[in-house]
Amino acid sequence: MSKASLTTRVLRSSAFALLLVALAWELAVIAFAPSPRYLPALSAIGRDAWSVWPQLLACFNRTLLETVLGFALGAAFGCACGTVFTYSRWMERSVFPLFVVSQTVPIVAFGALIVIWFGNSLLAKVMTAFFLTFFPVTVNTLRGLKSCDPQRIALMRSFGASGLVMFVKLAVPSALPQIMVGLRLGIGLSLIGSIVGEWFGETVGLGVMLMEAMNGDLVVRLWVVMVACGVMGMLLYGGLSLIERRLVWWRSEA
Amino acid sequence: MKLSPLEVMPAAAVAPVEAPATMLELVNVWKRFGEAPAQTVAVSNVNLRIAKGEFVTLVGPSGCGKSTLFNMIAGLLPPDDGALLLRGTSQRDGQMLGQVSFMPQRDLLFPWRTVLDNAILALEVEGVPRKVARERAALMLPEFGLKGFADHYPHQLSGGMRQRVALMRTFLFERDLLLLDEPFGALDALTRTRMQHWLLDIWARHWRTVLFITHDIDEAIVLGDRVLVMTARPGTIKSETVVDLPRPRDPSIVTSPEFMSLKRRLLDEIEEESRKTFAQEEAAS
Repeated sequence: MSKASLTTRVLRSSAFALLLVALAWELAVIAFAPSPRYLPALSAIGRDAWSVWPQLLACFNRTLLETVLGFALGAAFGCACGTVFTYSRWMERSVFPLFVVSQTVPIVAFGALIVIWFGNSLLAKVMTAFFLTFFPVTVNTLRGLKSCDPQRIALMRSFGASGLVMFVKLAVPSALPQIMVGLRLGIGLSLIGSIVGEWFGETVGLGVMLMEAMNGDLVVRLWVVMVACGVMGMLLYGGLSLIERRLVWWRSEA
Repeated sequence: MKLSPLEVMPAAAVAPVEAPATMLELVNVWKRFGEAPAQTVAVSNVNLRIAKGEFVTLVGPSGCGKSTLFNMIAGLLPPDDGALLLRGTSQRDGQMLGQVSFMPQRDLLFPWRTVLDNAILALEVEGVPRKVARERAALMLPEFGLKGFADHYPHQLSGGMRQRVALMRTFLFERDLLLLDEPFGALDALTRTRMQHWLLDIWARHWRTVLFITHDIDEAIVLGDRVLVMTARPGTIKSETVVDLPRPRDPSIVTSPEFMSLKRRLLDEIEEESRKTFAQEEAAS
């Protein structure tokens, strides 16, 4: 690789863009000196984060665990449901509308119910994350499996392929790009789910820190939590993209 | 009680029979689509017989039901009426599935599989272990002009190469009857000529029975032992022309007077059918 192309790559990378935004933020605060209530300096947020570092780290890990567990459950359930709906018309007709209805009820309305059902446990937060994740995964799995090329299906049938062989060798790989779309939607939603879940009673977690900051009018702390959420979202999304590149590296064709 | 052969069989049958065995026979096959008032007859009263080892080409105007006919022979569509016989045995609906090597118009390669793995798809479906199948396919790569491309992916190949991979997949699915549906339709004229002669080469070596659909008359004559012409919809076999050009056939054969006279006759027939199709479409619109 030539030196010039390396420079361009660095200049065009998202890390560089992030650095630029951080720099602009810091400079803007120095130049315009707004009240910290409206926009604290990035360095002030960093200092505040450092002062509560052990708590922040514990909260971060806890929320990450809830999110990942909820996402994994939701993804597995969504893929399974999408598959069942694809191959069973009556299941799609009878159960799928219930899925849609379930999503029209705001998750916040469910919060109290979930605490009653699952207590003040890890499982309760996992369930709220799960609840937001499974739907987009179901929809996209269903769409991906249904959009399998009928001519390729005919080709496999002419080879004498059974339903299972067809599913494993053709339907699943051709649905993967669409399933990944569902997973990408799901990962962001499951983070929301676990944070909202923490509002209904918990002692550790970014959602808890967020509530404390709001109640205590700690504006800088609020920013700390937001940045932490952003970092977690980026990590999760980045991890998923990495998996996607391993799984769905081929270009989709019309 | 023992009978001498002469007593068992009529005298005529005892004489050595030169006619080769029948591979495929279609008897009075019909296919209709849709319900009564808006029904279209796609294929009507098709009778055809293909001998073992024969290369038969089928030409006809577009939309004449060629592909419907092919789908029926491959077992993908049940005929409404009539019988399909493979090696003299009548086939029930769906029984043809897995019995013929079928190659549709589009190459239909799987983008997530390499050239080699695309080629062995049918073998995998049959349950041949992947390793064995790969070894078998690797030996065939040079013959199909794909040497050194085993680990390439379809999007890295030219149209001609993709078609050869699809053809290799079809050949590796070792069935006596090959159905090729316009395999070279999407290729440019030069590549197409090269592929035709290459196919003849392969055919001569592997000795399979081939039924080949095309809308290109030159292609039909260059390749076939016989050319069948289909009528406009409802499609049926209009005529049958034996191509008595010597084999192996050279690309320059298209300039010979015998070729020309065959082509002229076939062109007239197809022209007539094309006009009918055109008139039908005019009337419908």
